[in-house]
Amino acid sequence: MAGAPVEALRCVPLFADLNESELAQIALLFKERRFARGETVVKEGSGGAAFFLIDSGEATVSVGGAERADLVPGDYFGEIALIDEGTRSATITATTELVCYGLTFWEFRPLVLENAVIGWKLLQSMAKKLRAAEENQAQP
Amino acid sequence: MTNDEAGTNVRFEPPGPGFYELDPVHFPRPVTRYWTEMHPAAFARGTADFATFYGMLIGGLGMSYVNGMAYKFVVPAPEDEIPQRFQRAEEVLAGKLWREQLREWDESYKPAAIAKHRELQAVDPDALSDEELVTYITRCREHHTAMISQHMRFTASAVIPTGDFLAHVGDWTGLPPAELLGLMRGASPVSAGASQQLEALITAIGQDPAAQDILASEDDPGQILEALRALEGPAGVAVNGYLDLVGNRLLDGFDISEPSALELPGALLRSIRTAVAGGEGEASDVEARIADVRSKVPAEHQEEFDGLLVEARLLYRLRDERGVYSDIWASGIMRRAVLAGGRRLAAAGRIHEPVHLVDAGFDEMCSLLSGSDGPSADELAARSAFRASHSAKDAPATLGTPPPPPPDLSTLPPAEGRLMRATGIALGALFGSSDAAHEEHMLRGLAASRGVYEGPARLVSGPADFDRIVKGDVLVTVSTTEAFNILLPLLGAIVTDSGGLLSHSAIVAREYGIPGVVGTREGTERIADGTRVRVDGDAGEVTVLA
Amino acid sequence: MTEVVSLEEVSETSVFGSKAVGLGQALRDGLPVPPGVALSGPIVEAVASGDEAAIEKVVEAVRPLGGPLAVRSSAVDEDGADASFAGQHLTLLNVPSAEELSSALREIWWSANSDSAITYRQRVGLFTRPSVAVVVQALLDPDTAGVMFTQNPVTGADERMIEASWGLGEAVVAGLVIPDSYRVDRAGQVLERRPGLKRIVIRSVAGGGTVEDEVPPELAERLCLDEGQLQELNDLASRCEQVYGAARDIEWAIADGTLYLLQCRAVTRVGP
Repeated sequence: MAGAPVEALRCVPLFADLNESELAQIALLFKERRFARGETVVKEGSGGAAFFLIDSGEATVSVGGAERADLVPGDYFGEIALIDEGTRSATITATTELVCYGLTFWEFRPLVLENAVIGWKLLQSMAKKLRAAEENQAQP
Repeated sequence: MTNDEAGTNVRFEPPGPGFYELDPVHFPRPVTRYWTEMHPAAFARGTADFATFYGMLIGGLGMSYVNGMAYKFVVPAPEDEIPQRFQRAEEVLAGKLWREQLREWDESYKPAAIAKHRELQAVDPDALSDEELVTYITRCREHHTAMISQHMRFTASAVIPTGDFLAHVGDWTGLPPAELLGLMRGASPVSAGASQQLEALITAIGQDPAAQDILASEDDPGQILEALRALEGPAGVAVNGYLDLVGNRLLDGFDISEPSALELPGALLRSIRTAVAGGEGEASDVEARIADVRSKVPAEHQEEFDGLLVEARLLYRLRDERGVYSDIWASGIMRRAVLAGGRRLAAAGRIHEPVHLVDAGFDEMCSLLSGSDGPSADELAARSAFRASHSAKDAPATLGTPPPPPPDLSTLPPAEGRLMRATGIALGALFGSSDAAHEEHMLRGLAASRGVYEGPARLVSGPADFDRIVKGDVLVTVSTTEAFNILLPLLGAIVTDSGGLLSHSAIVAREYGIPGVVGTREGTERIADGTRVRVDGDAGEVTVLA
Repeated sequence: MTEVVSLEEVSETSVFGSKAVGLGQALRDGLPVPPGVALSGPIVEAVASGDEAAIEKVVEAVRPLGGPLAVRSSAVDEDGADASFAGQHLTLLNVPSAEELSSALREIWWSANSDSAITYRQRVGLFTRPSVAVVVQALLDPDTAGVMFTQNPVTGADERMIEASWGLGEAVVAGLVIPDSYRVDRAGQVLERRPGLKRIVIRSVAGGGTVEDEVPPELAERLCLDEGQLQELNDLASRCEQVYGAARDIEWAIADGTLYLLQCRAVTRVGP
């Protein structure tokens, strides 16, 4: 079976409002990628090439060496660098054996452009992050 | 660098069984045929002398010439002599027998050598007939040979007390050899060019206004020296006395192809002017430095420190004296004789330039001067050109199969081990060894990728540590793999313990254009995380700065 | 379009990458390359996606090679240029059998599409999507192996620089040891022999993968190449230059007394 299992996408909020056939189509674009425990999945400051969602296992997010969050199945990461073509904003490290499904820029961009619903979802999640970042700054 | 012209890819074959190491330090250029004929035997004799005197584990050293490049090899000591050598080593240390050698040097060898030098240089070779000149160069050559043996004979005494000092004090204080050698300052006036003749010269000129005028003039240096020599009174006497002492010394190197002081009047004049201008260099602080180092020596060893320092300083002048008063002078005398022969042969059109005669072998020189057959003018010119266009950089560093590693010093009887160690350290510190050694704050490795970069070191043992790297860091790790590529945009330089010039880290550093030093062996042990380092990818050095 | 072809026949760089075609050409020219199979960029991607038909096709193609396999990436670039960045050259050794091949191919696909690989491409001005083909060969069990540059990569001097160690050449490529270093001139004259510190040897293990073993102390500093082998390497260098041109980076291995050519690519950075 090619691509990611549809179940893996279904619980990802980003794809929540898609119907079955849309999900199936999108699932085909993904490729499985595994990371060993302790492996650096993505390195802060480096250029970004792929977007991942977690199917099983856990990872931590750290910025500037400080841990910020934990990631669990259903979470996704890596979209920011693919959107602004900048560098990775955080380091993500697998804390257990991690199974992800990933898209590179060449699949991700057309996917977002062609699918306004996904685009809207991304905007929502960005807005939340932005708000949280502003609130952090405001606090002493 | 490599000789492109004529496409002559000169082949280097080992001269025989065994292992040969290039000596680019003493012989950076190819030597003359004359030298290859006479040096090896004299060298072997002299080194065998010191090896026996000191009961060393080697029979002596040898020097072989391949395409004019000097290759050194070790002559092993005969197995059946080893027990008595061990015994001798003990006697040497117990009796401080190097002092005996120093006495021999001062009381007989050195004065006899100087007398012979003066006797030979008193002859004016240009005034001799061809037949007399042949006899004369034969005498000069015999003398030269004897002086080479003499130089080597005293080598061990020149280095062992110093090496012994460096070994012990290095162990006690951890200070590097370069710093400890500073404590020898003032122990060898000859190295600083001092001599009784120079003192007399400074005084005499200081009291003679006419001499000072000549010295200060803007004339051609050769003419100035002539004028000074021709002076009446104590100044003229002092100038001649000084020039007799140093004039025939080779300014650099050992072969008759090297110029002597009188051939470069500009250099000679400069050193006289400097000496006369005087001004004591800043007062030596060596006493203070000795006290400083002594304070770093554990109390129970301080008395031993004092004793070792005394021996080292006592023998230190032998290092330079044994050359300057032996073959460096004799070689200049031989050269002078050969140049005289060359002048007459060139005048007769037999050779192109007087100096080409230094490229003839000894028998060839005699033959030519006797009017018999010998190498053509073109042949000699070609040999001269060969020497000028080649250097030790073109030669392989070693020939033959490397020997198994030497025995661990700790398996030797204590006296022998101590002697061998002292010799090893001294040769490394005084003459520089070709094996890169680690100094206290500097590590050496392979220069994998050019450039120099300074930044904080970040020790990384694997992907788990990648998090700690920030932009501008110097990666310090055992080795790298593709997994490390993720870090590259952040790095200022790469330093690894293992790996060669063709390993991943080296290739990646070159392709990314950042400085890289690989194969340092101990980088991860000797560099602390966070310390500022300078990575010199041209020299293959990593220096800890803070 | 053919997606799977034997190494001897491979010729299209836009489909199979220059490494595969290079090795194929070398085989055709009689150079000692271990025989193998080339898998096209598209089929590698299909396998990475999980396409079952593609997986089956690939497994069948490599079955004749037998047991343990060496799987090497062969990057394809539309303009045919050599993308020679060390990171793009993921090599997987001792893939124990055809069945494990698909996860090996997926790893290789991702390594070509990793953050660092993509970033590097952009840095050197390549903004197009990478395509990575693969070469699969039977795995060797070498006594000695390493790397040879046909031109000194640091000084640019016209001489061969050879680095060698015991066992699989990964020890040299990955810099796990300080390898023996040799410099040999074009005529075969050995200019320098410097023994390294070869404490580690990489060997394949039954069941897949490789392991790092300790080298017996007496071998760690013993030169692992003799005069005859250095001459053979020099000859190989000359032959590679004839076939490919100057400035080559060669991975080689000596197994059962035979010298094999494993990779031959252009050196991008030579000299100061």
